Amino acid sequence: MKDLVRQRLSINVDVMDLLNEQIVKEAHSSSVYLAMASWCDHNALNNSAEFFYEQSKEERDHMMRIFKFINDNGGMAISPEVTDIPHDFDSLEGIFETSLEQEIAITKSIHNIVLKCRKVNDLATESFLQWFVKEQMEEEQTMRKALDLFDLMGTDGIALKLIDERIPKIKE
Amino acid sequence: METIVFKSRYYTAYQPEKGRCFFAEIQGKRIKMTFCQLLAFRQKVLSIDIDAHFNPEENRHGIEILTLCNREHLFVLDTLEIIDLKMFVEGIFAMSELHTLVSA
Ligand SMILES: [Fe+2]
Ligand SMILES: [Fe+2]
Repeated sequence: MKDLVRQRLSINVDVMDLLNEQIVKEAHSSSVYLAMASWCDHNALNNSAEFFYEQSKEERDHMMRIFKFINDNGGMAISPEVTDIPHDFDSLEGIFETSLEQEIAITKSIHNIVLKCRKVNDLATESFLQWFVKEQMEEEQTMRKALDLFDLMGTDGIALKLIDERIPKIKE
Repeated sequence: METIVFKSRYYTAYQPEKGRCFFAEIQGKRIKMTFCQLLAFRQKVLSIDIDAHFNPEENRHGIEILTLCNREHLFVLDTLEIIDLKMFVEGIFAMSELHTLVSA
């Protein structure tokens, strides 16, 4: 008997489910960063706002990367529903802390899919995900660099303005 | 000629010798599905909240209405039929996995 599922689908179907869940997570990240950008805008932290607008765009790109990968390989990508976006933040430092936590959660989730790929011998998806493994290392480093600025300069008075001025550099 | 891909208590999936499609027999109806339709079918069935069937406030009648292939078909299924349908869908894809293993 020929295997019709395999003929049509190059990736493991359970891995496909996890990738669809990852799409929701990337879309959620994108929306959270957008909310953070808005907060920064309202608080006259222009560089930080710019940083989070860009961050939001990148998360959407990640989402699309996975979306296309699923469809290109015969699967069915599902357009995500995004809910629970926080809009209340108490400080820029808090925003970067939340960002780091969010990135760590995404890293774990990516690693979890890689481990599943290994279990079911889905080498194609595993190799596709290598880019994400690397990207996540960089994302975490970026957020840590921002938090280092707060450790270094504090948050009183002019410090916040100086930190905002240095935000464009943390992605380098 | 056709082969049975998987058979559960209430449903059977076939695949014809020629042509790249599936047939599913559901409540005595024979439904032709392309692979994309099979994936959409799987998605729909697996996302049915079976726990709601055991909560009288959520799903009082224990009934699920399922439309297939862009609403070409419509089925009304009870709790047992839904549980079996979930196993049926998993079974179809598990067979493919087995296939991959033995032919590796
Ligand atoms: Fe991402
Ligand atoms: Fe990220």
